[in-house]
Formats: sequence, structure tokens, C-alpha cells
Amino acid sequence: MKVFWAFTRQAFQFVASYRFDFFAEIFLILLRMYSIYWVWRILYTQRPGAFGVSMEQMITYGVLGMALEIFMWSRPQHYMARQVKSGAIDTDLMKPLDFHLHMLARSVGETLIGLTVLAVPAVAIAYFILGVQLPPDIPTALLFVISLPLGYLVFFHLNFLIGSLAIVALDIRHINWAYYSVVRFFGGQVVPLWLFPPFLAWLAGALPFQSLYYIPMSIYIGRLTGAEAIQAIAFQGVWLVVLVFLSRMFWNWAHRRLVVQGG
Amino acid sequence: MIQVEHLTKDYKRVKRREGFLGSLLTLFSAEYQTTRAVDDISFHIREGELVGYIGPNGAGKSTSIKMLCGILVPTSGEIKVNGLIPHKNRMENARQIGAVFGQKTQLWWDVPVIESLRLFRDIYKVSEAQFKHNLELFNELLDLHEFRSTPVRQLSLGQRMRADMAAALLHNPRLLFLDEPMIGVDVVAKERLRTFIQQINREQKVTILLTTHDMGDIEKVCSRIMIIDHGHIVYDGNIDQMRAKYGTQRTLVVEFEESIADFVAPHATLVKSEGRKKWFAFNRFETSPSTLIRHISAQFPILDLAVEEPEIEAIVRTIYRGQPEASAKEAR
Repeated sequence: MKVFWAFTRQAFQFVASYRFDFFAEIFLILLRMYSIYWVWRILYTQRPGAFGVSMEQMITYGVLGMALEIFMWSRPQHYMARQVKSGAIDTDLMKPLDFHLHMLARSVGETLIGLTVLAVPAVAIAYFILGVQLPPDIPTALLFVISLPLGYLVFFHLNFLIGSLAIVALDIRHINWAYYSVVRFFGGQVVPLWLFPPFLAWLAGALPFQSLYYIPMSIYIGRLTGAEAIQAIAFQGVWLVVLVFLSRMFWNWAHRRLVVQGG
Repeated sequence: MIQVEHLTKDYKRVKRREGFLGSLLTLFSAEYQTTRAVDDISFHIREGELVGYIGPNGAGKSTSIKMLCGILVPTSGEIKVNGLIPHKNRMENARQIGAVFGQKTQLWWDVPVIESLRLFRDIYKVSEAQFKHNLELFNELLDLHEFRSTPVRQLSLGQRMRADMAAALLHNPRLLFLDEPMIGVDVVAKERLRTFIQQINREQKVTILLTTHDMGDIEKVCSRIMIIDHGHIVYDGNIDQMRAKYGTQRTLVVEFEESIADFVAPHATLVKSEGRKKWFAFNRFETSPSTLIRHISAQFPILDLAVEEPEIEAIVRTIYRGQPEASAKEAR
């Protein structure tokens, strides 16, 4: 556990010292929040009542989706692909560390820094200038706090599976690109799933991607409540268990086929 | 300490196609190309040995070391490292071994050396007392204190190698793999690393498998040498035996009182002539230096003489070029 946090801390420091241009990033997030705010405002003036929730709820949903863009920061599959390509993967495997947990530790660090220094401040600013709402009550807030990390963990394991693919396929850029589009769309980052046409809604409802954005954000705005919310969290939990299992299996399979590049 | 029986490793490489469509196609129907990197090798290494493991590029050295570390999974054959099967017990095995890969660092690029070492301490669950003790030892032997708070990316190659060496030994492994640790290191640093390697082998009884292209390392440091080529072990034994078996070619250097015309000596070939000096190559099974000297001195007055032993590098070169399998087996 100590080692887990050591890696988390290291990833945290790495992001802090390298890719972190605080003002540019927060400006970008605010700009995106502002755009989504205006899109929904205009749509609601055109057709009020057509979107199933109040305008304030919808704006909150959209703004949260932009803030949680930081989930996309942690891309363990990039690290894995890079290590495999450069042959440095053997220095990771030299150590008496479980590779899966090692990747998780790094990813947690990267995500935590994104949450604490960008997402939370950006939402706080949006609260004052864009009229973003707080969760309607304490139980809702609690459900959100359970649902959000679950969503992150589901997403991490999907990433880890893609990263394991890098061991076999080496180049995953194309796959990755397609994958992120799918995550954004079926995850409901911008457009909530209840606005999807029936077939797509059914499809999105079965896929794990909604765990990342749609479920926690719908809980937050009070669209998913009570039994529905619990059910959605259970859905996340089941997917997480399945994905952990798949990740372990797939990684072991890929490890057998590992070719260390160079040297 | 290490038992390797009939170890084989095939690489299945996907033949890659260009572009987006290509990579999609590769996903669905891949053409494979199999190369055999290590082909049925067997060897044993006893506790406390310091073995030089050499071979030309692509011979299978690194592949076999990576299998011993559990990084790569063998295609067939058996490996036991101190009783453990590395690829089945990768993490457990990693605790009892240390490794330095000359071309890569195990340390974290952006963190000061000492921070990296502290993380190693946590990863390997090294006790605080042991950590302190080892740090003192490395300070003494590797001058670690000179760069302990420098980030790894700013280290010189020699320093980086010393830091990597410290990281590999921090948990007092029973076994140390050194894969080209001297690559690109200057003469002074090299000498120092050699001394260090010998010291830990002798004093801490660490078993060492050293891969190198520098025959100087082998000659100065190793007691036993294994040569691998095209995935086969072509020689396994000590260095003197190797010299005796393969180093049949010697050179007699003669300095005459005055410069004379080239001449022919029985069972020897004149390979070089420079001023008053001449170099004669001969096979020591065909003639002896004394016969040759007697023959020459009978004809010309000699000022000085020297018999040159074959360079170990030249011997290894002849072994690389391919000796019949039989003689390699016989040499064991």
C-alpha cells in the first residue's frame, strides 16, 4: 500500500512539474464550460421542456462533463505502448510489482491532480458565474461520491485493456483514437443518454462507457434517484468486477506474447 | 543457483502493414513470422560464480537473461533460479535477483537518485537498517554521494551506471544480472565498475552473470565464460582452457641487428615486416617457438625476441565465425 501511494505521489509530482500549465488549462476548461452553457441556453429558449430536465440541471450536467474531461488525462495505455515500443517495459517487469496495480497507482495520481487542481476549482468558478447547481440533497451527494470513483475505475480498466493490446499490436494510436470517440459519445459526456434515439440509448445503456460520465453526472443533477441510482451504481460495480477479471486475464495472455524491443 | 535445461524461445512477430487500413487489417488477419532467438540451451551456474556471457549482437544473450528474470516467457524448456520458475513467480523471483541493463535505466528519470533508491527500498521492502548500511557501502565503493540528489536524467553515463548498480543491489540479491553494464562508459569508470563487480562477488558471494562485448571485462573479471551464437551455446568453460583449445595461432616477433630481406621459415608465415622487425605467425601444434628461433638465429643475428599470445578477442572471433558443434561440446 505504501508503494502504491509512492507511485501515486510520483505521478502527481510528474504531472505537476511537466505538463501542467495551470492557467492555460483552466482557461480552456472554462471556455468549454461557457460554450456548453450557451448551447443549452439557446436550445432551451427555442424549445423549453423538450429535454426532460430543467435548464439549470442540463447546464450543470454539461459543465460537469467538461470538468471531468480531466479523466482523459490519465492514459495508462500510452505509458504501456511507449514502454513496449522503447523496450523499457522490462525495467517495469524487473521489479517485484504487480503490473496492473502499478499502472493503477500511476493513474490514480494523475487523476487526483487533475481533480484537485482543475476540475474542482473550475466547477467552483462555474458555480458562481454560470449558475451551476449543487446536488439537491446530502444522500444524492453521497451517491455521487460513490459513483464517480467507480466510473473512474471502470474507465481505467478499459484503458488498461487497450494498453495490454499494445503488447500484441505495438501501435495502438488508431485504435485509441476511435476508442476515445466511442467513450465520449456512449459515455454521454456532452449529450445525456436520455436524449438518444431508442436504439442508441439501448446500446449505450448496455455498454460500460456510461459509467464514466452519464451515471455519476445524472446522479449529481438528481435525474437518477433512489432505486434507479442504486441500480446504476450496481451496474458500475458489476462492470468493474468483469473488467478487473478481464484485465488480469488479458494482461497475462499478452505478457506471454511480449517481445522486448531492442537489446 | 541457476539451472537451465533445453531452453528455447521463439518470437512471433507480426508482419506489419502500413497506414490506418493496414493496422486495421493487421488486427483481424495477421501474418506471423517466427524467429528462434534461443535454441535449446542448457547450462548450470553454481552459487558464487562470476560468469561472462558473451556473443555477437542478436545471439540471444539478452533474451535468455530476460527469461531468467521472468520478463519473457520461454517457448519450451525449463528454468530454475534458486528453486523458482521465473515466469511463474515473476514477483517472488524479482526479489531475489538484481539486474542492470546497460541500455536502459531502472531508475526514474525525473527524480533525484536518492528518491529513486528510497522508492526501491519500499518496493523491495528493505529494512531501514539494511538501507542505511547499503547506502554507506555504495558511498564508499561507488561514490554515490557525489550525485545522490541529482535527477537521473542529468547524470553522466558512468554515474548513471553506478546509480543503477546501487539500485540493483539495494535489496542484497543473491544473484545479479549485468547486461552490458559497461556500454559507453569511459576507461576510468569502467575500471571502477570492474573492481566493484569483483568485490561484491567475492565479499558478498553474489552470483553474477555478466554480458559484455568488452573482452577486457571477461579477462579481468570472469572465471568462466559462456559463448552464445545464433541461439546456441558454442563454448562453456574457463578462459585458460579456451585459450588452449582455440588459441593455436601465435606470433613470434623478431628484431634483427640489421634490416634484412624477407625470407621463409618452416611452418611459419611472415605476416608483417617493419624496419628491422619481422612478425611470424605459427601454429603451436605444428612447430614450437624454440625450433623456429633456432632456425632463424642460425641464419641471421637476432637482437630481440618476443612470443605473442593470441588476443582473447581474436579467439572469440574465430569461435563466433563458427566452429563445428562437436568441438564446442568437447570443450566443456
